[in-house]
Amino acid sequence: MDASQRAQPMVSLRGVSKNYGERTIFSDVNLDVSPGEVMAVIGPSGAGKSTLLRCINFLEEPTSGQITLGGRTIRAGEGVSGRDVQALRRKAGMVFQHFNLFPHMSVLDNVSFAQMRVLKRSREDANKRSLALLDRVGLADFAGSYPARCSGGQQQRIAIARALAMDPEVMLFDEPTSALDPEVGLEVLAVMKELASDGMTMIIVTHEMGFARDVSDTLVVMADGKIIEHGDPRQILSEPNHDRTRLFLRAVLGR
Amino acid sequence: MEALEAVLLGVPLTLLVTGASLSIGVVLGVPLVMGLRSRNMPIRSACRYTVNLLRGIPAIVWLFIIYFGVSIGAFQFDAISAAIIGLGLISAAYMAEIYRGGISAVHAGQWEAGHALGVSDWTTFSRIVGPQALRVSIPSMTSYAISLIKDSSIASTIGVTEIVFFTTQDARSGGGGLTVYLLAAAVYVAMCIPLGLLSRKLDSSLRKKVSR
Repeated sequence: MDASQRAQPMVSLRGVSKNYGERTIFSDVNLDVSPGEVMAVIGPSGAGKSTLLRCINFLEEPTSGQITLGGRTIRAGEGVSGRDVQALRRKAGMVFQHFNLFPHMSVLDNVSFAQMRVLKRSREDANKRSLALLDRVGLADFAGSYPARCSGGQQQRIAIARALAMDPEVMLFDEPTSALDPEVGLEVLAVMKELASDGMTMIIVTHEMGFARDVSDTLVVMADGKIIEHGDPRQILSEPNHDRTRLFLRAVLGR
Repeated sequence: MEALEAVLLGVPLTLLVTGASLSIGVVLGVPLVMGLRSRNMPIRSACRYTVNLLRGIPAIVWLFIIYFGVSIGAFQFDAISAAIIGLGLISAAYMAEIYRGGISAVHAGQWEAGHALGVSDWTTFSRIVGPQALRVSIPSMTSYAISLIKDSSIASTIGVTEIVFFTTQDARSGGGGLTVYLLAAAVYVAMCIPLGLLSRKLDSSLRKKVSR
């Protein structure tokens, strides 16, 4: 393919490293995610998957390297400005393992709050958008409830609606189903599947092998602070290049 | 009956000193706790020393220092202002510590959720973490308010005409000392109990909203 025809990557990581003091979490990670690409990141716990994801929107500041998101680049380590970070975060929606909904706000306010505060939408516009998104995740009836009255699966779908309300260019998922019962997790995966088929760019740290195989376009395997495989999910899952991947897959698939 | 009248005469100033110094504490406690949590080392240690100082000196000593010692230009604090400022500063230190506990009781994921949505630090604090921290802090704040009602009696030592001032005066002027002090005790109890009730009611109604 001609280089000029190739789409500019939506997310691009160049030489990204993260240390906590002497301890290296990962080092020199390079990764490109194209617009509309769904990338699953798997690997043993402690491999640095979640930290890598959180570095993309600077919830964790990388020790070094540069991150480009939707055309905005931030270089780590040299006096990163809060304003730049906020602008970058606005382009990325994030969904957490433990939902992190705001317990003192109604479901509707959870979804509308940042729209009003950050995007300066009027309450009316924000609520209209929120209700449309809640409807999309099947929870319009819960708009007036408080998060604590919703099940885990419902809370996670509300969290997805909350992130989508900011019109992100990429969605980051940090083990979105790990805190849920397998059955409840399915309703969240269904919403994510729909989002993927609508063309959303997504990076998903997950232990859901079925989802990684069937929904994602690319698969990244991280172990010991490095990306050890990156490519077609089916190929990696059936014929991994690395012994480390084989070991990991045996543990998650062979139970 | 005369004794009760004497005791009740002090109620307005007891309430004024308590209410005003509590308000100062509730408000000043906010910048103080932000300083205690600041990433800036000099600010953080300055606030830490301030809190330690304010909490380490007895209220009665503070009141005398402010009443006799501090004058701004030609202006000298009168007894009521000295009492309000002294108790207000001490309250600010205690409130800051109460808030600090409340803030650390809020899950770190709340900050992250705010930040991930592009919400500024200040708005995340004031609209997301703060309100949750405040709810957690209400029982401790009430306990402090109740002890402040009683500590406001210290103001009588610099001549503020609150409950204990009148009570002491009445006892000295001949009447039965025991009776008038028992009456004073009853009046304090009568003021403290509703506060506790109010706090529990507030707490449970806020709790109902956020939990199943």
